[in-house]
Amino acid sequence: MFTLGSVLDNELKSTVEDFSFETNFSTNQLMLPNIEKPFEFAQSIIGLEKDLQENENQLMFHQQKKEERKERALIKGYKGTTTLAFIYEKGTVIAVDSRATSGQYIASQSVQKVVPINSYMLGTLAGGAADCQFFLAHLGRICNLYELRNNETISVAAASKLLNNILYSYRNYGLSVGSMICGYDTRGPQLYYIDSDGSRLKNSLFSVGSGSPFAYGVLDAGYRWDLSKEEALDLGRRAICAATFKDSYSGGTIKVYHIDENGWVKISDDDASELWYEYEKKEKKEKK
Amino acid sequence: MAGKNCVAIAGDTRFGVRNQTVALDSNRIFKINNRTLFGMTGLNTDILTLRESFKFQMNLYNLEEEREISPKTFAHNVAQTLYSKRFGPYFITPIIAGLEGEDYTPFLCATDLIGAMEFPKSFVVAGTGEESLMGVCETFYKENMEPDELFEVISQCLLAAVDRDALSGWGSVVHVLTKDGITTKRLRTRKD
Repeated sequence: MFTLGSVLDNELKSTVEDFSFETNFSTNQLMLPNIEKPFEFAQSIIGLEKDLQENENQLMFHQQKKEERKERALIKGYKGTTTLAFIYEKGTVIAVDSRATSGQYIASQSVQKVVPINSYMLGTLAGGAADCQFFLAHLGRICNLYELRNNETISVAAASKLLNNILYSYRNYGLSVGSMICGYDTRGPQLYYIDSDGSRLKNSLFSVGSGSPFAYGVLDAGYRWDLSKEEALDLGRRAICAATFKDSYSGGTIKVYHIDENGWVKISDDDASELWYEYEKKEKKEKK
Repeated sequence: MAGKNCVAIAGDTRFGVRNQTVALDSNRIFKINNRTLFGMTGLNTDILTLRESFKFQMNLYNLEEEREISPKTFAHNVAQTLYSKRFGPYFITPIIAGLEGEDYTPFLCATDLIGAMEFPKSFVVAGTGEESLMGVCETFYKENMEPDELFEVISQCLLAAVDRDALSGWGSVVHVLTKDGITTKRLRTRKD
């Protein structure tokens, strides 16, 4: 349904001012089906559980339409996740789980939810996996082109703004992207939250996904600006572990990344369940 | 699952509300008498209500009949209780497992929420992960298993299936019923 060809063509056609208004706000970057109301069609084939449930009330007197919609739900979203990121004195910490669920079926326990944009920026994946993967890879391409043309590294603020503008032009098309752009640039460690609804928020800590309330509990309790690197990594790991325990739709393995002035590094990759048992054992020892 | 003169029931012990896990120790498998085990999945409040209701009915049966109920009769009792609420059902899926008669023949029964009974010879499954369970049991089941082997097989089936279901896990329990009694074991499962 979507092809890369049309996207790249637009890139190559762009003029010296490569971030011109027309290129970025063009709604013809991705191919749309050749029918009368593509926007309505795009919405109707999304089969995300959330959307089906939300519309259940509206369609209460139109049972037939609801059944139709369920049958036509060709795109089944793999949702359910916990991702978090926070910045502190020495850099940025990102921690994610690795489970993808389709309804209550666990589709995979080994999803890569952190996508590298370039050597000092990472993006996280939450919501629709395909949407996030494509747009983050696309952002990586744009950032690379920027660096080649302008001979300087792109700032996290600019990169997140670019993605934000692209996603805003696809607002209401049924995309589901809840990504955090994290990096280290001349301004220090930076963290932005980008949404498919068009929001772009800057903060020092975020957690995204079905397990985010549980992660926030641990994260908010332990967060300080002047954490040491060990403490910060441990905090991120513990927060995701708590979320995988409490939230059924999060789990698998817990991956922790760290970004500082030298770029991003993958710190650890632990099984969520084993980590929980370890923490339990440690607590019992401490109580004694 | 049924074996040679033995049956086993296994279940997880999670109690959750949609995606949130609330308790890790909710037991849904109950002993009716030395010959019958009864497990339920579904709406927790209905499970608790029916546990009390069947306990009451069995106590009354014991007093009136002056004997223990057989698994087959109990299964029919369950079906009748569920059908009595045909137009406002209990939202549960019960499983009855027991040893019938002098020869301790294995007996399995599953019903739907309004009491339609089914008596398979090999295994019964219920719950949010029932599709996964069905697949795994079909693969690993074989006839005439001894109690030890039955325990291994049913444990592996449960662990494999709950790992593919987001809403199951967080602890599990396995009961094996033979003519010598019931052995109960808890398995270490994934807690994510």
